[in-house]
Amino acid sequence: MPDSKMKILVVDDFSTMRRIVRNLLKELGFTNIDEAEDGAIALQKLNGDTFEFVITDWNMPNMDGLTLLQTVRSTPTLKHLPVLMITAEAKKENIIAAAQAGASGYIVKPFTAATLSEKLNKIFEKMAAA
Amino acid sequence: MSDFAGMEDLLQDFLQEAGDLLSDVDNKLVDLEKSPDDRGLLNDIFRGFHTIKGGAGFLNATELVTLCHRTETLFDKLRNGELALSPELMDMIMAATKGVRDMFGDLSSGVQPSPAPADLLVSLKAAAEGQPKPDADADANAEAAPQGNASGANGPDWEALHAAVSGQPQTAVSGEVIPAAAARSDAGSGAHDAGSNEARSNVPAVPPAQKSGGAGGGGRRVDVARENTIRVDTARLDQVLNLSGEIGLTKNRLTSLRADILAGKNDSETLHALDQAISQLDLLVSDLQNSVMKTRMQPIGRLFQKYPRIARDLARQLGKDVELVLAGEETEVDKNMIEDLSDPLIHLIRNAVDHGVESPEERAAAGKSSKSLVRLEARQEGDHIVIIVADDGHGMAPEAIRAKAVEKGLISEEEANTLDDRQSFNLILLPGFSTKTQISDVSGRGVGMDVVKTNIQKLNGSIEIRSEIGKGSVFLISLPLTLAILPVLLVLLGEQPFALPLSLVREILPIERDKVQEVGGKSTLVVRGEILPVIPLVRLLGWQQERYPEYGVLMQTAERSFILGVDSFAGRDDAVIKSLEDFRPHGVAGVTTLSNGQIVLILDMRELLTDPNNAMSGRAPALEAS
Repeated sequence: MPDSKMKILVVDDFSTMRRIVRNLLKELGFTNIDEAEDGAIALQKLNGDTFEFVITDWNMPNMDGLTLLQTVRSTPTLKHLPVLMITAEAKKENIIAAAQAGASGYIVKPFTAATLSEKLNKIFEKMAAA
Repeated sequence: MSDFAGMEDLLQDFLQEAGDLLSDVDNKLVDLEKSPDDRGLLNDIFRGFHTIKGGAGFLNATELVTLCHRTETLFDKLRNGELALSPELMDMIMAATKGVRDMFGDLSSGVQPSPAPADLLVSLKAAAEGQPKPDADADANAEAAPQGNASGANGPDWEALHAAVSGQPQTAVSGEVIPAAAARSDAGSGAHDAGSNEARSNVPAVPPAQKSGGAGGGGRRVDVARENTIRVDTARLDQVLNLSGEIGLTKNRLTSLRADILAGKNDSETLHALDQAISQLDLLVSDLQNSVMKTRMQPIGRLFQKYPRIARDLARQLGKDVELVLAGEETEVDKNMIEDLSDPLIHLIRNAVDHGVESPEERAAAGKSSKSLVRLEARQEGDHIVIIVADDGHGMAPEAIRAKAVEKGLISEEEANTLDDRQSFNLILLPGFSTKTQISDVSGRGVGMDVVKTNIQKLNGSIEIRSEIGKGSVFLISLPLTLAILPVLLVLLGEQPFALPLSLVREILPIERDKVQEVGGKSTLVVRGEILPVIPLVRLLGWQQERYPEYGVLMQTAERSFILGVDSFAGRDDAVIKSLEDFRPHGVAGVTTLSNGQIVLILDMRELLTDPNNAMSGRAPALEAS
């Protein structure tokens, strides 16, 4: 089982959405959560602190979620971070792009705590197996 | 009653944030009309609808999701260059934005929005598919709502795709995905019903369950309730917290000093410490008052950003070319005031677009540029906020206004002859005045300007009109910065103190009788070459003048400078204004309590200077008690 103290970064430009994700995570027992408003700010935070998990929106100003993901994967200190992408689209192109960029998982809005938990657990299991 | 039981907090957050986002989208749309190929703008607008859609999904607001999705799809094509922006497309987008705003209205009154107009949804879809003329019925029926609210819709089989792309072997868990995917296709067909239900379709669609509370149809748009929450910069809140902490420490210090003093300790060291603690408390409390006040202050830009769209829509409707220029959006105003200013400003802007500026033809004939400018500006001047609505239209003729007022029976011929230009302009603020003989459906129903004036006065503000033929008109609204604290100068008439707003005071000087000159029957005093009228306060109050004032307070209002004659002074104070809501005598802004417990009237100089017997003064004649 994952550590509930695990430090998670939630990235979204819409603060209501950050709050939704934060609340869902809280429901699942995760309380050590920080937020960032876009990819650029997220990257700063990731470089300045130790996070164990990233949940990011796709469509954001300044730096979008895909670019953030690509940057994380190409940064030696960050490349092992699990990244869960959140988006409003269930388009195949998007999913392929996310997978190619190395996303650990992909979740479509709107979702429930149960869906989020399922996605997280799959990622944890994969990490444990690796 | 509410469709959002248990989600009220989330709904409030969403409405506030999404509302700001939509206003921003509105403004960007106005900009987009000027530069239709701006990729940055197209991207921003796309993201606006996209973000609103994402949030709406969590609120189960299916109809809002649908409308945003259609609009977003259209913008996706526009930003990718697959489609070009046309005026028809622009109108459609504007209608969609309005639809989203209407839905916010529904949400704020706690009901799920009813579907957007079917023809709008159909034309949005047709436009995104590049069809010039939508085949309404066919499309409406063939609709499948995107996303929907299908909870548990996990999207395509991510694990399978991921495995295929990344070349990893699938783990055992991926088996669970299959039922999820199957569930999704069921949910998808449910959403299909919702989609077809939005049109007057011949398919008997079953409304989705969560819509049951909101299936009232039209006529359900309720007035948006006043926001009773406020967003405050955390830095400001922290400051309040810090100050209250420090006040607590100072209180502890005082408590201990009190114990010492009560125990008979009154050496100079103790008294000095007491003096210090009280001075510190004094400073901290005034800092705290300021900080608390600041938490109520909001940039007026939040209000302003609604207007370019309103001006644009109206100008289009009237066949005029108008640009609304905003300035001073960062000016901070008390939150309540922002809300109460909304309607008067809408009226003034509509008025400027409708009556103020000319049609492009008239402007060309007058040798002006065909585009008219309406300026909406805010700035802080001392303890006042000034808001200006100015147009570069044809201006107003004072004679024409006077003649109209006489014709309407609002004033007599004799009264009209005594009015100067400024007073004549004020006539348009009277109830029942409208200079346009032909009534348009936009503004000019003869009601309005008097309502503007009443609303501004409720906020302790005033409105002033300037106009020049051929150059345009200016409406200048002046408002107090806050309704809470006012630094005042205390003056005395005999033994009776009065409070004057310190912001209007320039200096204090003795009045020497032999230096006072009579000019045209009025007392004046020359101060550094400037001839200023001397107005004894007793006369303004209508009291018996018993002696000549000894001191003068040089005061400056927006319109004039003058010397207010008083007997003496009692210092300065920070007045906490208590308003006299039901009983407010002419010229009195409110009352305050002095440190010694005495009650003092705070004078409203602007109002005092307007003669209460004059019909053109601060209030409507009917309300005048002379």
